[in-house]
Amino acid sequence: MKALMVKSKKWLPEQKCCRLRQSNECYGGRIGRRLLFCLMLFSALLGSQCLEAAITPDGQPGWFVDMGRFAASAHGTFSCEQCHGNMKRGGTMHPDSENPAFLKAYANREYNYQRCQSCHKPSYEQYLEGAHAKALMKQQTDSAAESHKLPKSKKAPTCGNCHSGHYTRAHLSRVEIGRQMVSVCGTCHPAQAATYLDNYHGKAAVNLGDKNAAFCTDCHGAHHCFSLKDKKTALAACQRCHPEATEGFAQVVIHPTIQDLPENDTEKRAHVALIRVVTLLMAIMVILVVGFFYGHSFVWILRELHEKLRKHK
Amino acid sequence: MITQEKQQTKTFVRFSPLQRFLHLVAMLGFTGLAITGFSLKFSAQWWAHSFAWLVGGAGHLAYLHRFFAVITYGCVVVHIIWLFYFKLVLKGSITGPQSLFPKVQDIKDMFQHMGYFFGKRRTPRFNRFTYWEKFDYLALFLGMNTMGLTGLFLWFPEFFSTLLPGYFINLAQVLHLYEAILAVALKFVVHLISTHLRPETFPVDKSIFNGKTTREKMMNEHPGELDSIEA
Repeated sequence: MKALMVKSKKWLPEQKCCRLRQSNECYGGRIGRRLLFCLMLFSALLGSQCLEAAITPDGQPGWFVDMGRFAASAHGTFSCEQCHGNMKRGGTMHPDSENPAFLKAYANREYNYQRCQSCHKPSYEQYLEGAHAKALMKQQTDSAAESHKLPKSKKAPTCGNCHSGHYTRAHLSRVEIGRQMVSVCGTCHPAQAATYLDNYHGKAAVNLGDKNAAFCTDCHGAHHCFSLKDKKTALAACQRCHPEATEGFAQVVIHPTIQDLPENDTEKRAHVALIRVVTLLMAIMVILVVGFFYGHSFVWILRELHEKLRKHK
Repeated sequence: MITQEKQQTKTFVRFSPLQRFLHLVAMLGFTGLAITGFSLKFSAQWWAHSFAWLVGGAGHLAYLHRFFAVITYGCVVVHIIWLFYFKLVLKGSITGPQSLFPKVQDIKDMFQHMGYFFGKRRTPRFNRFTYWEKFDYLALFLGMNTMGLTGLFLWFPEFFSTLLPGYFINLAQVLHLYEAILAVALKFVVHLISTHLRPETFPVDKSIFNGKTTREKMMNEHPGELDSIEA
């Protein structure tokens, strides 16, 4: 405390020199610049946190690894080097403090996910066969500048976009994984998540925790993530739980939304439109009938009350 | 005073034992259907969640819903058989003035009754069944059949999607939901008010449970029928 007092007393008179901005002996100016730098660094960290928060599965990622949660995760027994290698890139240590670009780097994209396959080979191969990898290839072959402009939700995901390497827990129940899945898939496919939750499958599985009901990957395939626009693939997916399903059954609309539906898919667009029109008509009918009879009952009660009170007089 | 008591003791049979029994079963079945069905529809809400947990999960909820559906639709089947029996064996009239068959007179009655609500006209001389009772009956009769049909679509989608394109399952789902909302909104509010909760009948009209009605009530509510009985 004494030292502080001394210190503050010491530089108080020297504050005058703040007017002389060029002066080397200006402590105040230096402190101000340092404060500004710290503020910028802090806001950069905060900004990057916000950006990543939008995409990672558990909703609480950060610039730093929360070692408590990491230790409880499926990868908790690993050392950093086991996944991140020797932390060198291009001859320099990975968090290269000399290079300010590392602050802008998007950790999920910087990481080399080929490392995952050393332990998760089947999943990795399924991913390579699947729709997400196909989208990634397409975006990479398209001009790099254009794919850079894409919003985050449209960028093809790699492992880390769906799985949090640091915090994914092991031995979750089927329902726990499924519930996480709906929010993870829903980050980029919100309309599909919403329509799924409005469907019997979603209600039974997510809301009521029925482990026999289908979650996202039960139909679309874990890591394959097929769109199921192909009728044969769709039917095969249905038949996993509904062995008696036929071609017509695969036409049942599970996601009645035209979000992300290609323009030329007129068949499904027509079905969705029909479902919406019928829903609207039914809603109008219900409102009219219920409105009429509620009014009818209300006025009737008023009249009978009036009659009763008049007789009592 | 004495004459009034005498009048009150004279009772008329309004509902036969079979009708009372069917009403009771349908009432319980309908309530069960509503609770189990809406527990699924609103399964994101805590009350639906806890009810589903109480009965043992989504599978049991579906089982209970189908159980209630079968007993409720059973009432419709028994009722239809009884209608044939009533017409063919008992030679009764199922379209006459004392029946539940809708007539133009009902629409006239409705406008007259609404005139009474606003103090413009007298209450119409209702026959055995008033227009709102006919509406209640016909809405439920039609509703149970359409709900039964759309329900079967949702129960056996594999079978019905071989007969019709798959999106008919979706349409069935939409119809099933909105008809359920309509039925619950009408039965649990309008039907209860018009039979029990309006000031004339409050707190309860027991005639659907014990089958009896008094002469006074008949005079007030079904004068047309009373005339036809005493004529």
